[in-house]
Amino acid sequence: MPLRNLRLQQRLMAIMLVTSACVLVMTCAGFFAYEFLTFRQSMVRQLSTVAAIVADNSTAVLAFEDRKGAEEILSALKAERHIAEAGLYDGEGRLFSTYPKDADPGEFPPAPAAEGFRFGGGYLQGFQAVVQNDKRLGTLYVKSDLKAVTARFQLYGAVVVLVSGLAFLLAYLLSRALQRQISGPILALADTARAVSDRRDYSVRARQAGTGELGLLTDAFNQMLTQIQGQLTRMELLNQITRAISERLDLTSVFQVMLGALEENLAVDFICVCRYDADARLLTVTSVGAKAAPLAEELGMTANARIPIDDGLRQCVGGQFTYEPDITNLRHTFTDRLADKGLRSMALSPLLVDSGVFGILIAARKVPDGISRMDREFLRQLSDHGALAAHQAHLYGALQQAYEDLRRSQQAVMEQERLRALGQMASGIAHDINNAISPAALYTESILERETNLSTQSREHLQTIAHAIEDVAATVARMREFSRQREPNANSVPVQVNKSIQQVIDLTRSRWHDTPQQRGIVIKIKTELDPGLPPVMGVEGEIREALTNLFLNAFDSMPEGGTLTLRTRKGKDKDVIAEVSDTGAGMDEETRRRCLEPFYTTKGERGTGLGLAMVYGVAERHGAELQIDSAPGKGTTMRIVFPEAEEAIAERQAPEAPAAPLRLRILVVDDDPLVAKVLRETMKMDGHEVATANGGQAGIDTYLTARKSGAPFDLVMTDLGMPYVDGRKVAAAVKAASSATPVILLTGWGQSLLEDGDMPPHVDKLLSKPPKMADLREALASLAPKKTAGGIPA
Amino acid sequence: MPVLRSLFLMLLASVSAAVAQGAPDREHRVKAVFLFNFAQFVDWPDSVFADPDEPLVVGILGDDPFKAYLDEVVRGEKVNNRPIVVKRFRKVEEIKDCEVLFVSPSESPRLEGILSSLKQKHILTVGESEDFQRYGGMVNFATEGGKIRLKINLEQVQEAGLSVSSKLLRLADVSGARRE
Repeated sequence: MPLRNLRLQQRLMAIMLVTSACVLVMTCAGFFAYEFLTFRQSMVRQLSTVAAIVADNSTAVLAFEDRKGAEEILSALKAERHIAEAGLYDGEGRLFSTYPKDADPGEFPPAPAAEGFRFGGGYLQGFQAVVQNDKRLGTLYVKSDLKAVTARFQLYGAVVVLVSGLAFLLAYLLSRALQRQISGPILALADTARAVSDRRDYSVRARQAGTGELGLLTDAFNQMLTQIQGQLTRMELLNQITRAISERLDLTSVFQVMLGALEENLAVDFICVCRYDADARLLTVTSVGAKAAPLAEELGMTANARIPIDDGLRQCVGGQFTYEPDITNLRHTFTDRLADKGLRSMALSPLLVDSGVFGILIAARKVPDGISRMDREFLRQLSDHGALAAHQAHLYGALQQAYEDLRRSQQAVMEQERLRALGQMASGIAHDINNAISPAALYTESILERETNLSTQSREHLQTIAHAIEDVAATVARMREFSRQREPNANSVPVQVNKSIQQVIDLTRSRWHDTPQQRGIVIKIKTELDPGLPPVMGVEGEIREALTNLFLNAFDSMPEGGTLTLRTRKGKDKDVIAEVSDTGAGMDEETRRRCLEPFYTTKGERGTGLGLAMVYGVAERHGAELQIDSAPGKGTTMRIVFPEAEEAIAERQAPEAPAAPLRLRILVVDDDPLVAKVLRETMKMDGHEVATANGGQAGIDTYLTARKSGAPFDLVMTDLGMPYVDGRKVAAAVKAASSATPVILLTGWGQSLLEDGDMPPHVDKLLSKPPKMADLREALASLAPKKTAGGIPA
Repeated sequence: MPVLRSLFLMLLASVSAAVAQGAPDREHRVKAVFLFNFAQFVDWPDSVFADPDEPLVVGILGDDPFKAYLDEVVRGEKVNNRPIVVKRFRKVEEIKDCEVLFVSPSESPRLEGILSSLKQKHILTVGESEDFQRYGGMVNFATEGGKIRLKINLEQVQEAGLSVSSKLLRLADVSGARRE
């Protein structure tokens, strides 16, 4: 295993042991080398000493050729067990004696060589002169094996192994004990680091480890932990604040949350948020921290206070975070203002969105350089988040507004559509009813007018029938009113709304004064009329009727009494506004939404559900807007907003009185035989000559035939809606044959048919079903051809 | 060694020459060398020599059994820086300066007188007759089994004020108690 992968303790120990081993090996190697050299020297010395002694002792034996003595002397060499061989040579160089004495003389050098000892061939050997009193008597040869060296080095080896082993053991024990000095603090540090990373707990601290490098390391580590802990706390706080402000959707609340959090967690004496108006070069204080409020009073920097941009603020509104450790020396208007109240250090953080700086965050302390780097960073980050949240709140508001507008207009369109559909349905029903009751109405009227000898009872019954028919006709008319669209120029006159209101108050007196008072209920009428109100263009009767309906609804909503307020005023763009307010029950949302629908009523049996529908119809036709403000229990205000009168048209003259009876040849064209018959009969009674034709084509044929035969009809009265050939075609045919012949169009569709334009071409007069005798007579009178003039009266 | 070898050859040549002059037997050649060698192992009192360069005299009393061989042996040799001189004496009275004296067997009949007259004279007396030591001779060559053995009367040697190297004594048969 590589050293770097070992654990610290093992590593330290390994290093120490390797070092010790190296030292030991080097020491031993030196020791061995020294011993090797010195031992050889000492061996040579030793051998030469022995040789010298033996040689000295050998002088006599050589001198006197005593071989036995020589053997004895040489045999003394056995005391040196490493001496393998020795030999004495005489003065002539002949081998005189050997050791051991039975040694093979052949093994000895044949003659003595130079004195001295040398190593070679695994032996130390050499020659020593035998001299007595300067007389060279012979030579001694000595040969020593090197077992002494081997033995010596074996001994040394054993000693080295033993000592090294002990030294190594000692080194191991020492290193194990001593490495704790280093590894202990480092391992403690590592444990702390592990604890921190495992538990994400940055509050633990490493144990202090003295003042050395390890102590410094531990200090640095602990400091780092403190910083990380601080950063984490800040981050956590930033997160909390960010989360809190991102839930707020209005600016003020976003800023309040921001300032509150800052005051709670940062050492600041003054803190506020200002909006920046780049055009006016002004800051407007938006929010001030709660704790900073008294100081803000002193500074004159409460909400909505304005601060002009000076040099001290310019950098920040340019988008840069600014920090002034001491503002006393800056001499700007704004900083002096803060400095006067004892503030010393100040940080300005811009609130930035894509479009630029829209505000700044001001934080200040009463101590110089009182806002730490960490706090400033925090302020800066929080400003970024706050700016984003504020921007989002702003966008959200705009979005909400747009959505609300869209929803309203969608609702209005839907309502209009629904009402239009209902109107068409109502129109169809009205047509059928009008057709159905036309005979009944005409006959009843005719009988009442002509049969003078009726019994009183019969006459009363007929009159009742006539009233009933009129009621039906009125109901159907109201129904039609609702669906009828604006009829251009149809009796549009300047109408004084104030006057109409007065009339309505008078007309409905019995409903709001007499009847309730009998039951002890008081309804108070209040009028707030604008005397300078301009007239509106419209049909006076319709306006009056609409107001009446609003009155009656208001009374109905106050069964226990209350106040009814009538108000007129000028709106913007010269609009004329008429308001009817009551203090009654009010409407819930559902009712408010549906109240304009025909037949929708909250009055049960008593209501027709047509009142407000009719008001709506009138308003629509007058280009006016019907507004309803209502809530349950809060009363209702109905408001009609008329557009400005375009032109003042002179009031029309009242229609002329019916002329004297005439005698005319009249052709009645209708696909409903009953209607044709009743028309023929009623007009005959007035003295006219009346022919009928069943259907459009028959009508045209009859008219043309009569014209050819020289007895043309003076006037054609035709139904509008007929299969195949309708009233318009009939009129066209008649006019084609004789443009002077008047054509009256009779229709159960009322005037709704004509919503898209004027009178249909070729038609001189339009009459609704059921026609009244008076209307008929007036039409005939006005259209009776005058023999002199061929045109049609205007 | 070439030098040694040439020396050896030179020595050999001179010996051959001596033999040609009338060489002694092998025994006396050895004894001649021994006689010279005694000078190496015996110390004389300083009073014996008048000056440091005075030669050490090896004398022969009576017939010379060594002939010229002894002269060859001592030629060029020195003992303690003293040259060695061989002197031949006919009568004991002739002997004045002498350190080693070989008493030839020819003097055996007068041996007692000779030896007694030489007492106190610091002369190492060497003989080769059996009764040499009986009359006060100091060193006697005895032949045993063809080998020459040295017999030393230490008492006599010491009485003569001479000291003999222990190395020599070890080889020899020593008689006479040591007086101390």
